[in-house]
Parts: sequence; C-alpha cells; structure tokens
Amino acid sequence: MTALNTLPRTAASAAVVTEFFDRYRAHDVEGMTGLCAINADFSYVPVEVWGKQRVLRGDGKVGTVGKPLWTGLIASFPNLSNTVHSIASNEDGDVVAEVDIEGTQQLAWGLITPAGRHYREPHLFIFHVGPDLLIDSITAYWNDAGISQQLGHNEVD
Amino acid sequence: MTSPVLTRTPTQTVQAFLDAFARHDIDAAIAVADPQVSVTVHPLGLHGTGPDVLRNVLADLLRAFPDLLISVSRVITTGDVVTALFKAEGTQSAGYAGAINQEKHLDIDQAWRFVVSGGLITGVTGYWCQAQLYRRLAVKRYDEIAIA
Repeated sequence: MTALNTLPRTAASAAVVTEFFDRYRAHDVEGMTGLCAINADFSYVPVEVWGKQRVLRGDGKVGTVGKPLWTGLIASFPNLSNTVHSIASNEDGDVVAEVDIEGTQQLAWGLITPAGRHYREPHLFIFHVGPDLLIDSITAYWNDAGISQQLGHNEVD
Repeated sequence: MTSPVLTRTPTQTVQAFLDAFARHDIDAAIAVADPQVSVTVHPLGLHGTGPDVLRNVLADLLRAFPDLLISVSRVITTGDVVTALFKAEGTQSAGYAGAINQEKHLDIDQAWRFVVSGGLITGVTGYWCQAQLYRRLAVKRYDEIAIA
C-alpha cells in the first residue's frame, strides 16, 4: 500500500478496488479481507433467505458475513472469476464498479443443486475506501434470478 | 449565454431525473435524457437506445404500481458517473414483468448507474434482484411466472 499512499485519493481508492477484484479472481479470500478494515460493513442486497419466522439477509460485516460467503461461493464454483468493466471513484473514497461474476457450479449453492452449469451475471459494487486506504464498506446489487435460471433452478425460493 | 442544461452538474442532472420519477412525471424525467441515451436494465434483460426505451421502463413500473414510492438513500457522484441507491415501494395493480396482478406489495432496493455528459443522461443501467421482486409478487417459478 506504500506506493498507493502517494496517489491522489481518487486514484488510490480505485487501485485498492482493482486489487480487491484481482485477489478475488485469484481466490485469495484472506487477501481480499486484508484490503478491508477490521470492522468493514458488508451488504449483498439480493441475498435473503426466507424462513417461517424470519428473513436472513446478506448484511453485516466483511469478517463475519462477507468472508464466509466468498469462501462458500468459491467452493461451489471452483472456477469462479470476475471481469471488471468499469471503475469510477471520487475524492471521498467512493468507488463504483461494474463487474461480471461467473463460474461453473460443482457443489450446492443455497438451495441450488449442482448440475455443472455455468453462470455469468452483471454486478454493481459500491465500495467506500477510507483515508487509510482500507475498504470500510462493500455493497453489491445483482439479479439473483438470473443466476438461478442459468444454473437450472426455476423455483423462486 | 450558456445553456442551463450545460451548466447543470452530473449530480443535478440525475437529481432532476430522480425527483421527476418520484413525482411520477415521466416527461420531466425523460427531458434530462440525451436523444441517444443508452438504457440497460439487467433484471429485465433490456438493452436499448433512446428516450422512448427509458420512458417505457418508467411507464411500465408506474402502470403496474400506481402508488409507487421512490425513496432515495444515496446519490454517489464519481466524475461523470452518478449512482443512485433507492427503494421502490408500491402495490401491484397490473401485470409487471410477466407477473399477474395479485395486489401484492412490492419493496425492493435498487441501484441505478447514470452516465452524464453536457447536462444530459447519456447512459443508465438499472440493477435490482428479480428474485426479490417475484418473491414479493407471489410468483412461484421463473418458468411459470404468470401462474399464481
């Protein structure tokens, strides 16, 4: 991170996020987490699991929700990859990234049984990178129905 | 004399769009779109060009959810890219995205990424989760969306 400290914050924040997706592509979950503040907020907006009395959502902290989610995703999709289409940032540390995530299912993912199918789905990630150049917030939006359908799962769970 | 359109910042342009959309004024929302605006709405599988494409996206939503309430939580400006995070809420009154009307209530978080140039929106990309939308509208299967 030493070299990044010499960059204007707009460029440095974008570089941190670029590195985050590089590490994600390399399945380096520890490295991804290492780019985040210890108490970094996490929200994967489409993630919700409806039970009889409560709804579990993909909200919490990177360390307790994000990290297990990334680890599980990589286990279920061993060739998980990403393609970054655009990164836009500002002097306040906000970074918006358009990213395709893709992979071929080998293990169950949620209620989706593995059928060896491949998915590729556009995601929008919104990061905030603090003055210390650590990510302190990650929010993502995508169409989970698109993933389910590509994997052959047609039930709206 | 400089045109008011050219002096609008990207944030002001998108805010004008969002304000107009929130008050269901489609004409005013479309007025800040470039004639060649690129429109992508991933959950609808929609990729098109021109204000009429955007007009149809807004009109379909307002037709299906006449009491649509748009609550903007954040507007993030990163150069000429402006990203708006908002919640859309409403009660279904007509078919939407293949789902028949069962008078269900919708509340869904969305992110729209705008590109602005010369005071006009030249690109808009909409992100939300269609699984959440169908779940709230009581759709059971993606391959039988119109069957309650």
